[in-house]
Amino acid sequence: MFLKKEEIVDKQTEKNSRVAVLNLAGKRSDQWSLMLVSVGENRDRQAFAQLFKHFAPLLKSFAQASRHEGWFPGLSEDLVQEVMIKVWQKAAGYNPEKASATTWIYTVARNCRIDMLRRKSNTQHLPLENEDFWHEPDEETPVTLLRQKRSEEKVQASLAQLPKEQDEILRKVYLEGKSHAEASNELGLPLGTVKSRVRLALQKMQILVAPEFQDELLNDH
Amino acid sequence: MTTKLNYHPDNAMLVDFSAGTLDTAPSICVSAHLHFCEACRTELLSLNEIGAQLMAKATAVAIDDAALDSALDAVMAAIDQPQPVKPAVKDQPASSGFPFSIGKLIANAESTLTWKRLTSSVDIAQFKTGQKVFEVALHKICAGGKTPKHDHNGVEYTVVLKGSFSDERAVYKEGDFLMRQPGDVHQPMGAQNGECICLSALAAPIKLSNPLGFLMKPWLRINPM
Repeated sequence: MFLKKEEIVDKQTEKNSRVAVLNLAGKRSDQWSLMLVSVGENRDRQAFAQLFKHFAPLLKSFAQASRHEGWFPGLSEDLVQEVMIKVWQKAAGYNPEKASATTWIYTVARNCRIDMLRRKSNTQHLPLENEDFWHEPDEETPVTLLRQKRSEEKVQASLAQLPKEQDEILRKVYLEGKSHAEASNELGLPLGTVKSRVRLALQKMQILVAPEFQDELLNDH
Repeated sequence: MTTKLNYHPDNAMLVDFSAGTLDTAPSICVSAHLHFCEACRTELLSLNEIGAQLMAKATAVAIDDAALDSALDAVMAAIDQPQPVKPAVKDQPASSGFPFSIGKLIANAESTLTWKRLTSSVDIAQFKTGQKVFEVALHKICAGGKTPKHDHNGVEYTVVLKGSFSDERAVYKEGDFLMRQPGDVHQPMGAQNGECICLSALAAPIKLSNPLGFLMKPWLRINPM
């Protein structure tokens, strides 16, 4: 059986468009995410060394940004080391559909930083580690890479353009490790003002969506 | 399990949770809510992205090549050490269907998690969480059980883990997250069709608004541990 020429062209276009969709929704292609996958799948030491050289300075600056009570500069090196060991140990569980390597490593660093502080300020046995709070239920959050990437791009683009007063609070919270309440004390602003600045920032990044409208918005593309 | 819920932690709480700046006890409550709430889990993926971008775009600390190499060597040496095997969290029949963090707290308590009768319709089991600000506990309200009308001296977070309960304002289902401030007087009632188990984190003693409340003395005790 032979296909007519138009049919062959149709098949070809169909195939091409399918390939295009796969490229869009198929894999994360930034080098760090690919390396992290390789560390998880192949215990790839070379990729790990490259990740280390890229992330260690970022992690150190994240550690030094901490203004937590009880934190001191000497802990920064410990944090870098502890985070990178965890990255090696947990890389097999990294899911590139959900997060880029940078985001995943940030969450490991955040958890380690909190746990180090809690261990330091506590002599009792702590039954929970911070990562226990982030344990996914068996029925996982369905995420499509496409949707996730779109949301990451929005965060990146809007974060760079936030007014100084909003940017300042997000930095205090995420980098210095101050809660909304602590940030409000420090800046001498009412808690409501701090909250509303954060809310405005989230709106710009299109993160803040009432749950009941979320599905409609997500399907709206 | 992923039904649409009506009551969620507010955005400030989710931001603090994503930045790791939320206290342990409210974090336990948020994590319990997340077990049931896909919308909040999705929102947190984006919130984590803020932290990641701020970390990635910050001026990296310069580490000279020699220091970087020796730090890498130290990590490489550490990962070659055999890892201590952490005991897996035992599957407790009592916690099946419960959020992971709560299962772990129950497993940690083992024989020490004891239910105490609080009133004729409410039992309480307190958790050890290693912090001293909040009392973290499970409350079990029997089917149709009434609890005493009470106010709060401090903030109280509640997450429904099983069944449902209602108060003067609404009905709260599995996964719903509630925050009560001092001055919010309420009288929760267990649903008629089965017992209700809630997780709660309570910052200070609640006071009874009923003048005969002293008869309910156990309510007044708070024991963060």
